[in-house]
Amino acid sequence: MKTEEEKLREFEDRIARGETIEPGDWMPEGYRKQLIRMISQHAHSEIVGMLPEGAWITRAPTLHRKRVLLAKVQDEGGHGEYLYHAAETLGISREEMLNALLTGKAKYASVFNYPTRTWADVGVIGWLVDGAAILNQTMLAKCSYGPYARAMLRICAEENFHKKQGQEMVILLSQGTPAQRAMVQDAINRWWWPTLMMFGPHDTDSINSAELIRWGIKTKTNDELRQMFINQMVPELHALGLTVPDPDLRYDAETGNWISGEIDWEEFWRVIRGGGPCNKERLAARQKAHEEGRWVREALEAYAQKHTKEQIR
Amino acid sequence: MNSRVKKALIQTLLAMADDELILAHRDSEWTGHAPILEEDIAFANIAQDEMGHAIIWYSLYADLTGENPDSLVFFREAAAYRNIQLVELPKGDWAFSMLRQYLFDAAEMVRLEQLVQSQYPPLAHVAAKIRKEEMYHYRHTSTWIRRLGLGTEESHRRTQKALDTLWPYTFQLFTPLPNEPFLSEAGIVPESAQLHATWAKVVLPFLKGSGLIVPETCTPIIVQRDQHTEHLSSLLLEMQEVARSDPQAQW
Amino acid sequence: MSDTQWPRFEVFLQAAEGEPHQYVGSVHAPDAEMALLNARDVFVRRPHCVSLWVVPADHILAKTAQELAEKGWEEVETPTQTQTASYCVFQKREHRGTLIYVGIVNAQTPAQALRRAVELFTKHPSLVWWVFPVRLVTQSNIEERESLFEPALDKPYKQPTYYRTSAQIHQIKLTKRLPEESL
Repeated sequence: MKTEEEKLREFEDRIARGETIEPGDWMPEGYRKQLIRMISQHAHSEIVGMLPEGAWITRAPTLHRKRVLLAKVQDEGGHGEYLYHAAETLGISREEMLNALLTGKAKYASVFNYPTRTWADVGVIGWLVDGAAILNQTMLAKCSYGPYARAMLRICAEENFHKKQGQEMVILLSQGTPAQRAMVQDAINRWWWPTLMMFGPHDTDSINSAELIRWGIKTKTNDELRQMFINQMVPELHALGLTVPDPDLRYDAETGNWISGEIDWEEFWRVIRGGGPCNKERLAARQKAHEEGRWVREALEAYAQKHTKEQIR
Repeated sequence: MNSRVKKALIQTLLAMADDELILAHRDSEWTGHAPILEEDIAFANIAQDEMGHAIIWYSLYADLTGENPDSLVFFREAAAYRNIQLVELPKGDWAFSMLRQYLFDAAEMVRLEQLVQSQYPPLAHVAAKIRKEEMYHYRHTSTWIRRLGLGTEESHRRTQKALDTLWPYTFQLFTPLPNEPFLSEAGIVPESAQLHATWAKVVLPFLKGSGLIVPETCTPIIVQRDQHTEHLSSLLLEMQEVARSDPQAQW
Repeated sequence: MSDTQWPRFEVFLQAAEGEPHQYVGSVHAPDAEMALLNARDVFVRRPHCVSLWVVPADHILAKTAQELAEKGWEEVETPTQTQTASYCVFQKREHRGTLIYVGIVNAQTPAQALRRAVELFTKHPSLVWWVFPVRLVTQSNIEERESLFEPALDKPYKQPTYYRTSAQIHQIKLTKRLPEESL
C-alpha cells in the first residue's frame, strides 16, 4: 500500500513528465478542489457573459452584426457547456455548480459585472475581453487535466473569431464619425482596467499560483499574461488613434514592455465579492431564467420517464 | 420576366424576408434566458439560421430593386413592414415561443419543398439551401412540442393555452398576397391554399399526437400583411435604435 | 417532480467518412433523442462532421491505465446469466489526445468487455479505456446528414479567417505614417 506521500510524489512526477491526468487517475485533493474552483468559475463566466452582449443582439445596427453577435453569444453558451462538463468529471454535479452561482456563493470573472452602455462596448468586449481570455485559454490548453485541456482547445479555436469580430468593429468605429470615435474611446476607457483585472491579482498576492504551476495547471503567471496582453493591445490601439486610460503608461525600451500604471485592487476585490455595478442584476436574470424554466425541465424529465424504453442493467 | 410578375415577386421576397427577420428578433430575446443551457445554445442557433434566411431573401429582393438591405431593415416604419402578425407577437413563455416556432417551421418546410421547383432560378437555388436548416428546425421544435404536450399537467396546460392563442394567427401564413396568381401561374411560387392544406396534413395529426386540441371555433385572423399589431412598433423602436442614432455612419 | 439539469450523455463525432469516431465532450438531455439534437447544436457549430453518437454517461465503463495497473480486476462484477452483447471500445493513446473508436467486442458484462478489449486491442498502449453497449448508442442517420451537418458549412463569418483586421490596422498605420512601435 502506497502512502499518501508516495502517491503525491508519483503524481507530481507524472506532471513533470508531461502526462495528462484523466478522470479515474489518483489526484491530490488540492488538485481536484483547485480545478473544480477554476473550471466552474470559468463556466459561470461564460454563461453570465452571454448577458451583457446578448442584450445588444436586438439592437445591432446591421444584419451582418446581428448574425455575428448571435453566433458569438451562442459560442459562449457552448463554452459554458464544455466547461461544466469538464468540472463534472471531478465529482461535482451541474446542479451543485448552478446552485452555487445562483445563490451568489460562486465567483465568476469580475469583468462581467460591468454594464454594456453603448454599441461600442460590444466591439471593445470582443477585442479586449476575449483577447485577454485567449491568452489565458491558450495557456490552459496545455494544462495537465485532460478534460479541461481538451475543453480549452475547442474554446481557443472558437474564441479567435470573437476577438477578430470585436477588433473589426473597433477599427470601423475608430475611423468613423466623431460621435462613433468618441463612443469607442469612451468604451475603451471603461473596459481597459476591468480587462487587466481579468488576469487576477499580482503574482505576489496570488495565493494559488505556486501550486497551480507545480501541478501543471498554469504555465505562466498572472503578471506574465497581463504584460503580454498590454504589449499586444497598446500599439494597435495607438495605431487607430485611440488611447488607453492610463496616465502612467510608459514604454520601456530596454525590455520592450509597455509599463502599466497601478491597478485599483480595492475595486477588483469589491467587484469579485459581488459589489460590482451589475452583479445583482446579472445574477437575478439567471435566477429568473432558472426559476421560470423549472416547469420546462420537469416536463421533459416526466416525458422521458414515461417514454424511454427500459434499460436492462 | 414581365413587370407584373416582377412586382409580385418583389413583394413576395420582402414578405418572406420580413417574416424571418422579425421571428429571428423574437427568438434572439431568449439568449441567456432559456430554461437550460442547452436551449440557450439551440435557440440561438435557430435565431441565427432565421437571420441568415432573412439576409438571403433581402439580397434576392435587392437584386431586383437595387435597395440596400440594411437601409430597408433599419429605416423602414412599421406600416411598411410586410411580416405576418404571428411573428411579431411577444415571446411569451417557453411553450408559446416553441409552439410559434413549430407552426412557422412546418409552414416553411412545406413552402420550401415546393419552392425548390420554382421557375425563378435564384428562388429555387436558395430554397434548396435553406431547406436543410428548416428541416432541422422542424425536427427540433416538433421534438419539443411533443414533450411539452405530453410532459406534465403544467406543460400541457401552457402549450394548449399557447395553441389557443396562436391558432387564429396561423391563417395569415397562407393568406395570399394580392398578386400571387401572377406568380403561381408562372410557376414561381406555389398556391397558398394548397400549401395550407399540405401544412394542415402535417400539423393537425402531430398536434393531436402531442395531446393538444386544435381550437375549431376560432376567428381566423385573415388580414393583409400591411396590418400590424401594436407590438411591431415597439419591436422596431428597439431594433432600429442604434442605426437611427446616426444614419450617415457605417457600423 | 424532480428538477435537475437532466442526465449526462457523452458525445462522439466522426469528422469524415473513413475516420473513426472521436470523443468530443458531453451534453445534458432528458432523453437520447434530445441528446442527439443538443449534441449537434453544441459540437457541430462549425465543420466538419458526418456522424454523431450519443451515449448515456452512466452506462460507460471507463478505466485509466493507472487504475487498471493498480486495482487490477478487483471490480469485476459477478456475471448474471445475461446474454452476450456487443460493446463499443474507445481508447485514448496519446496524452494530448482524445478517445478514439477502435472496434467492437462481445461480452456478457461491461467488465468482461473491458477485459476482452484490453486483450484484443494491443496494437497501441492505451492510457484510457471506455466500453459501452452498442444498443445504448443513439446515432444520427445518414439521411439526416444534410440537415444536421451541412448548415455549419454555410457560416463563414464564424471563422477567424473571415476577418482582415491585421491588414486593416496595417493600412491605417500606413495612411497615418505612424512610427513603427514594437509589437
